[in-house]
Amino acid sequence: MRRRRPLILFFLPGLVLYLAVFVYPTLSGLYYSFTDWDGLSPSHRFVGLDNYLRLAEHIVFQKALVNNLKFMAAVVFCQTILSLVLALYLQRSTHVNAALRSLYFIPAILSSVSVGFIWTFIYDPSFGMLNNLLESAGLSSWSRNWLGDAGIAIYAVAGVQAWAHIGQMVILFVAGLQAIPADLLESAKLDGGTRWQVFRHVTWPLLAPAAALVVSYTTIQSFKAFDLVFTMTGGGPNYSTEILSTFIYGTAFSSFKFGFAAAASCVFLLLIAVITFLQFKALRTERVTY
Amino acid sequence: MKSSIRYIFLTIVMVVTVMLTSACSSGNGSTTGTGEQPTTPASGNGGAVKKVTVNFLHWRGEDQEVFGRLISQFEEANPGIQIETQVFPSDQYQASAQAKLLDGSSGDVFAAFPGAQFEALVRAGLYTDLSGEAFLSAYNPSLIEAGQKDGRQLAVPYQLVYNMPIYNVKLFEEQDIEVPKDWDGFLAAAEKLKQAGIIPIAFPGADIGPGQFMNVMVMNNAPDPDIFVKLEAGETKLTDAWWVKTLAQFKELNDKGYFQPDALGTKDQGAGALFVQDKAAMLATGSYQLAQHKKNNPELEQKLLAPITVPANEMIYEGIHTTTFLLGVNSQSKHPEEAKKWLAFLSSPEAAGAYANATGQNVTVNGVEYETEELKAVAEWSTRKTRFQPRFTMKNAEVQKAVTGSIQAVLAGQTPEQAAADAQAIVNQEIGK
Repeated sequence: MRRRRPLILFFLPGLVLYLAVFVYPTLSGLYYSFTDWDGLSPSHRFVGLDNYLRLAEHIVFQKALVNNLKFMAAVVFCQTILSLVLALYLQRSTHVNAALRSLYFIPAILSSVSVGFIWTFIYDPSFGMLNNLLESAGLSSWSRNWLGDAGIAIYAVAGVQAWAHIGQMVILFVAGLQAIPADLLESAKLDGGTRWQVFRHVTWPLLAPAAALVVSYTTIQSFKAFDLVFTMTGGGPNYSTEILSTFIYGTAFSSFKFGFAAAASCVFLLLIAVITFLQFKALRTERVTY
Repeated sequence: MKSSIRYIFLTIVMVVTVMLTSACSSGNGSTTGTGEQPTTPASGNGGAVKKVTVNFLHWRGEDQEVFGRLISQFEEANPGIQIETQVFPSDQYQASAQAKLLDGSSGDVFAAFPGAQFEALVRAGLYTDLSGEAFLSAYNPSLIEAGQKDGRQLAVPYQLVYNMPIYNVKLFEEQDIEVPKDWDGFLAAAEKLKQAGIIPIAFPGADIGPGQFMNVMVMNNAPDPDIFVKLEAGETKLTDAWWVKTLAQFKELNDKGYFQPDALGTKDQGAGALFVQDKAAMLATGSYQLAQHKKNNPELEQKLLAPITVPANEMIYEGIHTTTFLLGVNSQSKHPEEAKKWLAFLSSPEAAGAYANATGQNVTVNGVEYETEELKAVAEWSTRKTRFQPRFTMKNAEVQKAVTGSIQAVLAGQTPEQAAADAQAIVNQEIGK
């Protein structure tokens, strides 16, 4: 025991920090979700489950939830498929592939706020590069009011989210692909398997753990995409891009309803946990052995 | 013995780690100046005295230069006081400032937005009552009402802004258009501009446009200055004629092509660019942008106008004003008297004039000499019949958002009635009806 004491001291600072900056605020948030605290007043009332009951029928919260699910679905679908396709093309370790992987990774190191500003200009209906490019290519009928059309704005933002993080996911997939023994793929080809069959029956089962990681990470990222949405649309027009994180921010810091915002945060946390758990269950594969 | 030394060493490492971490985590705004520190007086009779540091918390990063000059003047006149400024960008100010204010360690003097933020800070008891302070006489009494609550002057709004469309004087003259005096006149002017290939109104519908332009559009449709107070009290509804008519007029402007195409996707910068490049004749924002436009296009001649949405003989208000940048003294401050001295200094016509001329913002202080054409043009409005910005009379930010959202909804194609009903449903939830 005496010999272990110094070791305990090594992880104590980390533990103290974890308790102070994660556990304590989380438990405080849970506590405040049962109060009517406005974030400023020294006192507050205990309101029981009122905040949660209000959330159940709150129009804007429901819109934010639906938008968030649309956003998540679009991001997870685009980001996973595109990063997998790119990873399949870039898996071989050549100089060109290494350079391309770095290139695709660059957006991930930019701040979301910068990405948001850049894409706001690209999407601008009057001066934006995207509509200008489409018009130059004779595709003016494809031009859209990308962030101003309530029907497509959430998908336009989702596209940016996917663009910004595809590079990261490519790295995860490439790591998964490179871990697959080459002799397995070779023997599958020698057995006469087509490219699709080799992918479907050999590559994909062995890549499933990486795919599960990519999907769950992307899901969590898409729920936490506050800064991108805030910078690009602020939740508008008319709540069409309001997502849970912007709803919580507005409720806490513009409406000064911290208790209500804390309740929304708890639901938010629970939702991410449930969706991530379900995804892991759906993508869980038996250990593949050959 | 060896083991004890190791323990002592590890404990020191741990303490240093924690101290470093806490040092890293404190403060994320930009701060100038230093904390309370000993200094030797210039005349020096030997001992070091402590300077009192007054922390000034605000969001106007663009005003740092002029504030720096004013602080130097103030510190020269008050050698025992040092002003330290802490600036958060306006979009982070709501979230960051209030946490700083609560413990009294920051923001001895602090700025606030009128409306929801001011109300929340009042509820939290963060204001020192300034009623009866001598420096209040420097202000135009009608322009500091936004800083009053229950008969007490809790803050002084420093900036005076007119939230009305800016128009390009030369383009109006070229098209032989006079400032319209009623709704029909406004529509006729817009049509004339459109026929000449000029965008009548650049409208930043994606961000600030609805919240700015709604004020002039509603001011005569609902002349009651408490109309939105009544909305929040459940005594009137957005589905009533005054708001449905306002939405219908927004729709009319949009449907007739008097806003630029895809106005809902245009942000402030985009709309501003259309105006500065002479592509649009009006810009639906406010006087706070005049100086920036002039910087971007020195040839631009700008004035303010408001669409009068009723027949000329029914007009009550000519425009909209907002008094903002509400300066208050923190009730948690350890140096309230020194904080008030700084506020009193800013209230002098000389300091306020220096601030106004450097920033291009009009101020609420009397007797200020404005130097630029833009500031002078705006100052003319102080004698006109203007109304305090109706949007800021809404104390609930969610109600504000529902109201501006209904404008976006009609521009997106909804009927005014439906947009008003949807917004009212949100309002009902917010006010518990």
